[in-house]
Amino acid sequence: MLFNSIEYVIFLPIVVMLFYLLPHRFRWMMLLVASCTFYMWFVPEYILILLVTIIIDYSAGILMEKHADNHILKRRYFRISIISTCLVLFIFKYLGFVNDNIVALCQALNLNVNTTVDLILPIGLSFHTFQSMSYVIEVYRGNQKAERNFGIYSLYVMFFPQLVTGPIERPGNLLRQLHEEKTFDYDNISKGFRLIIFGLFIKMVVADNVGAYVDMIYAEPSKYNSWDIILGMFFYSFQIYGDFFGYSTIALGSAKLMGFNITDNFNTPYLAKSIAEFWHRWHISLSTWFRDYVYFPLGGSHVKFGRWAFNIMVVFVLSGIWHGAAWNFLIWGAAHGMLHIVEKAILNHLPEKENRGKLEKIIVDAFKIAKTFLLVTLFWSLFRATSFANISDLFTSLVNNFNAGEHLGIENSIWIYLGLFILLDVLLFNNRFDKWCDNRPTVVRWTIYFILIFMIIACSSVNNFPFIYFQF
Amino acid sequence: MKKLIYRFALLAALLVLMNWIYGTFFFKNDLLKHSDEIQLTWDVVKDSCVLVYTGESSNMTFSWYDTDRRKISDFVFDHFPNLRCGDISKAASHAEVYYYLLENIPESAPVETVIVTMNLRSFGYGWIESELETPIQKQLVLLKDYPPLFNRFKLAFKAYDMSTTQERSKRRAYHRNNDVLTFPYEFPYRTNFEWDYATNVKGIYNDDGTRNQALTTMAIAYIQNYAFQISDDNPRVKDFDNIVKLAQKRGWNLIFNILAENVEQAQELVGNDLVFLMRQNRDYLVNRYGDIENVTIVDNLEAVEDKYFVDRDFTTEHYTEVGRRRIGDNVAQAVKIYYY
Repeated sequence: MLFNSIEYVIFLPIVVMLFYLLPHRFRWMMLLVASCTFYMWFVPEYILILLVTIIIDYSAGILMEKHADNHILKRRYFRISIISTCLVLFIFKYLGFVNDNIVALCQALNLNVNTTVDLILPIGLSFHTFQSMSYVIEVYRGNQKAERNFGIYSLYVMFFPQLVTGPIERPGNLLRQLHEEKTFDYDNISKGFRLIIFGLFIKMVVADNVGAYVDMIYAEPSKYNSWDIILGMFFYSFQIYGDFFGYSTIALGSAKLMGFNITDNFNTPYLAKSIAEFWHRWHISLSTWFRDYVYFPLGGSHVKFGRWAFNIMVVFVLSGIWHGAAWNFLIWGAAHGMLHIVEKAILNHLPEKENRGKLEKIIVDAFKIAKTFLLVTLFWSLFRATSFANISDLFTSLVNNFNAGEHLGIENSIWIYLGLFILLDVLLFNNRFDKWCDNRPTVVRWTIYFILIFMIIACSSVNNFPFIYFQF
Repeated sequence: MKKLIYRFALLAALLVLMNWIYGTFFFKNDLLKHSDEIQLTWDVVKDSCVLVYTGESSNMTFSWYDTDRRKISDFVFDHFPNLRCGDISKAASHAEVYYYLLENIPESAPVETVIVTMNLRSFGYGWIESELETPIQKQLVLLKDYPPLFNRFKLAFKAYDMSTTQERSKRRAYHRNNDVLTFPYEFPYRTNFEWDYATNVKGIYNDDGTRNQALTTMAIAYIQNYAFQISDDNPRVKDFDNIVKLAQKRGWNLIFNILAENVEQAQELVGNDLVFLMRQNRDYLVNRYGDIENVTIVDNLEAVEDKYFVDRDFTTEHYTEVGRRRIGDNVAQAVKIYYY
């Protein structure tokens, strides 16, 4: 079920109503049924894969706690759980990629190998396997008690607002809340509603409308003028941001309606002054997952520069292939990692000048923001391209077509949507839409609701753009 | 809770205001952008047409050898020089599209007689579940008789049949495999699929004993497109029923134009069994709609010979000048009942 579908418009109010009408002890059951329904709306069979992961990690949690004193046994259960979960992820997400590369290598060596792996990637697999793993790791570390109620644990993995595209929750936050008794609070309804309409606006009005032009550019770059290709690349930056931020915001709002607080996934990332800061603001739940479970165990930043650079590259390459089993994602991740290292190396030699004047600080900050945004936009082309040939075509056309090629014929309304989005993003710097609204007078708040709802209905794209992160 | 109800009431009031703003300032542009065929209806209304022809590609496809490349509708209109006539034709349209386009003609318009194309093939699941159906369903959303903002909401939240190509293909296959064909005599194949499969295995052969793949493919196309039996729950029948109701409500004379099919070639390539089904389906339509007041059926099923069909590699209702003119003349005879 998509958040921007009529099914969800009907589904969500029913679930919220049932949630408040039912006594606390029955709520998790209803939410679990709702979450299964939500997930099975896509491809029903995929739920079996989820079930396998849930059973393994649930059992591992209990067994690790049971054998808390026997370190060897505890570690064994931990490894079994992590390896099994990773194996599920590997089979469905990476096996095809590995196979294709082995076949290509064999063919290059004139060996007659021609195997194919044709498995469909279950929706949101990377998200819920990471969520499952965070539970197992936390139980292993002793930070989290093992969940005894199989239903509630299943709900932790399958909670519908964040099931398919995150945010990737931690047991310390979500699992705890699933046990808490929630009471009806108008404030939660109001904030949830605000977040949902804001999320729908950025997904349906901004991301989907610019997405049509992005598709045109990437489908046939050589057809377009260089300026339009540049524009298309910038549009993709806003498309992917609007798309993913929109989804996360709707997820946040949907959970908030029932009193659940899930992790913020974005914090005005395009206003970041460096690549490092960008990753503190973009897909926060994934960045913190890698920080806590990969980067810190590798030694984090409390090591020599060379080792730190290695740690960073491991995290970013893993982050790249987490997104997709393809070389372009790996290179995209590695490029971000390298840039992060270069930035740090430069900063080490050129430390920040202190006591800047106000105007000078604004100019320097604006320059840094623009630099980071340009680099991120450039790297997004690796993320968006369908193949290396596509990337090559894009950049060749970008260089050669300044006096050739067609124009996109962008509708004026697109600039209004983008302008409004950028304005809101700047206004929301280090803030969240629902909280930002709290400080506005009622008339202003309702005017904003009116404009957003009207634009969602009247100005949204009619083309069917699935959420980009669904493929991960 | 009281606060919530108060807020919902305010939201409802704002939605009414939004509907007005959208209907007044945005709707017309959206219609032209997302349901451009509405322009055809607007033209008919603007021209104060009395006689309206609705159709699909059969109306406008011509042969390059034709000396007169006008549409079937033009040949009909030739007979009524004193009437204001207009046509609403768009390729790949079917009865549901005609219904919504006709419904958008305001009640105050002077329309008296409406000719609606009845394409036999459009009753088959090959067309009902065609890949073109999803874009067609999308185009129809804004044309429906609901408040403009509600229609735009449905379009934005994809509240229409947006089945994927695979889903439609699956449904087509389901009907081909499961809709049982009944004959008043013994017939070896139970379903469209069995018949099609057997024809493929059997093949059509040239005099020299070699398999003629082109003719075999054509024979299969005939079976796939015509080997079905129209029943009361056929979606297209419901659409035509709605058109009848609309015509009765508006006081229009209604003429259903059963298009000519290449019965001659169907008989030659597949045989009498397929022609039996084509005629049976025609009879079903004649019996269902023929006796309704102010509804006339023009039976053109066998009015055009093989040589007057344009396409030679697929089953279509595209005619040369002679075919179009003949159908036009037949329809005109039915229209004359109301005017002479």
